[in-house]
Order: sequence, then structure tokens, then C-alpha cells
Amino acid sequence: MNTAGMTTARATTALPHAGDRRMRAARTTLILLGTSGLLFGLYVLFDTVRITRLPGVALWIGAAIVLHDAVLAPLVFFCGLLLRRAGRRVTGTIVLVVQAAIVVGSIMTLIVVPAIVARSLTSNNPSILPLDYGRNLALFWVAVALVATVWSVVLYARSRRANQRPSSRQS
Amino acid sequence: MYEAQRALASPVRNPRLAVVTGRLLGAAFIVCFGTGLYSHFLQEPLPWMRFPTRPASLYQITQGTHIVAGIACFPLLLAKLYIVFPDLFQWPPVKSFLHLLERASIALFVGASLVQITIGLINTYQWYPWPFPFREVHYALGWVLVGLLVLHIGIKLPIITRFWNGRAAAEHEATDAASDVESPADVEAVRLWGSGRPSGVTGRLIAWIDATPSFVSETKTVSETTTVSRRGFLTTVGIACAAVVGLTAGQTFAPLDAVNVFGPRKKGVGPQGLPVNRTAEEAKVTASAVAAGWVLTLAAGGVERSFSRAELEALPQTEVELPIACVEGWSQLALWRGVRLSELADLVGADTGASFRLISLEERGSFKKTEMGPEYVRDPLTLVALELNGETLDLQHGYPARMIAPGRPGVLQTKWLSRIEAITA
Repeated sequence: MNTAGMTTARATTALPHAGDRRMRAARTTLILLGTSGLLFGLYVLFDTVRITRLPGVALWIGAAIVLHDAVLAPLVFFCGLLLRRAGRRVTGTIVLVVQAAIVVGSIMTLIVVPAIVARSLTSNNPSILPLDYGRNLALFWVAVALVATVWSVVLYARSRRANQRPSSRQS
Repeated sequence: MYEAQRALASPVRNPRLAVVTGRLLGAAFIVCFGTGLYSHFLQEPLPWMRFPTRPASLYQITQGTHIVAGIACFPLLLAKLYIVFPDLFQWPPVKSFLHLLERASIALFVGASLVQITIGLINTYQWYPWPFPFREVHYALGWVLVGLLVLHIGIKLPIITRFWNGRAAAEHEATDAASDVESPADVEAVRLWGSGRPSGVTGRLIAWIDATPSFVSETKTVSETTTVSRRGFLTTVGIACAAVVGLTAGQTFAPLDAVNVFGPRKKGVGPQGLPVNRTAEEAKVTASAVAAGWVLTLAAGGVERSFSRAELEALPQTEVELPIACVEGWSQLALWRGVRLSELADLVGADTGASFRLISLEERGSFKKTEMGPEYVRDPLTLVALELNGETLDLQHGYPARMIAPGRPGVLQTKWLSRIEAITA
């Protein structure tokens, strides 16, 4: 329970208000409903998965948290730092375009790299992973870079034009 | 820690964007859960369950949607986590027992969500690098996640309602920014927001970086700049979603076939122009399926009749156009020709309300024996197929005979049929 919620709850007892009462009822219902869903899921997990396999599930969930919070997020943060520093020289919107290009390319990479790995491991079934994912990913990065460059040039040209005629915007 | 949290302050890390992306991610989770549940019960129906057989492409639609929404979760979940990341550093880390529970539920929510979409994705590549069974864990985590989602909505409801509506949210932000005093009810918002200037070394560093002069030009106010970077953030998330979905969905959604460059399957790739999920080699049927003495046995009550392939071919043939739709999210329409299952059932005098058990030649595998409810058995589109796209069924597609029924997952379209029997209630 967060502080804000508890404050609201305490205020409700002092000063009954229809909206607050409804909010409280809705939250209680949702929290109870959610908890039962969670418990049912855990029951299904324990019921259908052999007990010796469960540490593996816990390990993967724990590893996912560590991987995100201690590796991915700091990496994104420091990329953001570098970009903002570099961005001191150019228009803000250009920084956003470059940022977007890196983000889109990275997310696609995150999804496609396992396919590249899986393709190298399997298999005697030629209809699974039939494409050249490495080449396609490289082409995707090229396309993203091209679009970002063109977009940036357009933005740059526009901002230069605007700067050459400052009086027209101020009047 | 509070310093670290403030250092992470950015115009996009605010409750309004948390609500906006949260809504989209929540919707994607619900869609995945609903379609996943449908797929689960098709494969493991409760005794009383009956399913619609029309539209014939129903499973193609639900499971295609399941995979598409699951892939869209990657950018959405990462965006959501980016927005709320400073929450990780709240100080003190634990304020009360309830607060501990809340944080634990968030940790499980984040970890389980990441695992769920990752194993779901990699399962579509038929790669299983994890030390647990996929199907059972994916199903159980589905319930865990939908429970945690509802719980999370319950906990955050005050913020969600406050920032649900865009205009009202902007007013809240303006009032909050105007007053230096952090009213207790807004603590949560401020925590997410990181409003107020950062202090300390980190704070000064960030302040310097934040003060990108070109962002704040003479003609733009600070709030306009904020709007620009928020729009930029949402646009980026939108483009990322469009890219990951658009470049993979062609494996099920025919109009996008031309730009299917990252899908794990490609329409038209496979024997007889159709992808294969489980090969004859994997199922170990390469000998038994081509054996000269192969017969398909039908049994109902005490009656049992066996048909050779030639005898099946001599029966009235029906041609149907049905998709093969895999749990892994790919699907493809194909032309099938064979004997109606309902007509075979009548030949052995099966009860019209009977469910059937389908048994394959495969030596082992979870789908060696499957069951089919009467709504599919009696459907005129349900065939024991002998031909595919005008040719004799390829061994990889289930020669000598396979099931094809409308609206069923591929794993239940039993290949290399050996025996079909009515289940006596």
C-alpha cells in the first residue's frame, strides 16, 4: 500500500465522502480479486510443474529482474547521458530522432538475436526460422539509420531557416 | 537514494505517461491472457466445454492475436519500466509491512512479465533454453500476471484515475508544479515525477546535462519542451510497436507477408507450400507411416472397422479450404481433400453426441492422443484429409491421413492417424 493511498483512506474515515468511499470499495475489490488470481496462478504452477523444476522458474524470474534493473536500465541511462551531452550542440528534436532510432533498432535486435541463435542450433525442420535473420537485421539498422538521417537533415534545415529570420517569429 | 531517484528525473518519467503506457500494456496483457486461455482450454477442455466452429479461421485469429500482442509487449513493457524506473530507488526502501508487500508484488510483476514474454517469444523459435516445461509455466504465469495486474491497478487506482484524462492530468501537473509544498496526497506522484531540482554531485551533473540550451529556445517555454519530449517518447514507442509487429505478423496475417522479414515462419515455405511444426523424423513415424499394411481403424461401441488408404480414397471425397493455425502463432490457408469425419463416424454407427479420441502413429509426444468434441466431429468441414493443395499428403504433413477441422490449434490436427474411437460416456 502506498503512502498516498493510506492518507486517502485515513481522510475518508474522518470525512466521509461518496467518491472516496467508492474509490476505497473499488480498490479493495481489485486488490482481493488480483490476489486471488495470483494465488490461483501459484497453485497451478505448483500443481502442474514438478517440484524439482520450480527453482528454475524462480531463478529465471530473479535473473530477469537483475538483468533489467542492473544491466539494461543503467545501460539505457548512460546512453541517454551520452546522447544528451552530444545533444547540447544540436536542436532538441534531432536528439529525439536519434534517440528514437537507437531505441527502435535496439528493441528489434533484442527480439531478433534469439532467432539468430535458435537458427544456428536447430534443426532438421527447414520450415522453422527459414529467413536470413542476421542479414535482415543489418538491413533494418541501415533503414532506420537512413530514415533518422533524412529526418534530422530536414529538422536541421528547418531550424536554420527559422534562425535566419528570428524577427518574423517574435513579432 | 532519493538523490539517485531525482537524478533520473526526465520529462517522460511522470505519472501521466505511466498511466498512458500502462493502459496499453495492460490491454495487451489482457488480450494475451484471454486468447491464451482460449487456446489452453481448446487443448485441455473441461468436460462440459463446447467451442464454436465458425468462423473456421477463429483459432488463426485468436492465436495470431496472442502472438502479435505478446510481441507488442516488448516495447510497451520496456517503456513502462523506463518510466517508473526511479521508483526502484525510493527511500526508505521499506516503510511498512504493507509497503514491503507492495514492492514484492511489483518485483514479481516485473520479473514474471519479462520471463513470460521472453519464453513466449523464444518458444515460437522452437528453442527451449530454460530448465522448466514451457506450456505449464507459461499458463501458470498467465494467471499470476493477470492477478498481479489487477492487484497493481487496485494499488495505483488513485493515480490512475487522477491521470487517466489528459486535460485533467495537465491541470494537476500545473497545480503541483506551482505549489512548492508537496501535499501528502501527491507524495506518490512526486516520487514518480522527480519534481524539484536535483541536488548533490549527481544532481548537478544531471542538471548540466538537462540544461541542453537548444531544447529551450527563446520562443519555447519549458512546458512546450516537455510536451515535445513526451510526444517524442510516445512516438518512439509507437514506431517500435509498429516495427516489431509489422515485420513479424506476416507469418499469420497474409497482407503483411511481403514485409515478413523477422517472423519465425514464412507463408509458402515448407513441403507443399506449407510450414511444418513437427517433422516425421521427430515423431519417429518415417517407417510406420509408409508401411504397406497401414490402416485407419474406427471404433464406436462394439463396432470396429479398418480402412486402407485405397478404401478411404474410394469413399465420397470432400474438398475444404481451411487454415492450419499453430499455437506458435503462424497460420496458412490450404486446400484439403478427404473423407468427412461425420460420414466415417456414421459408418461405425457412432452416437451423434459422442466425443472422439484421435490416436497418431507417433511413438511419444503430448499430442499422440487427443480428444475432439462432437461439435467438431459432426462439422461438415472436418475431414480425414488425404490430399493437400491438390497432391497426395506429404509425409511431413501427416501421410497417409491426418485430421483437419475448423478453428482448432495445429497440434490437435493430428497427423499420421492410426485410430479414431468414440469415447463412451
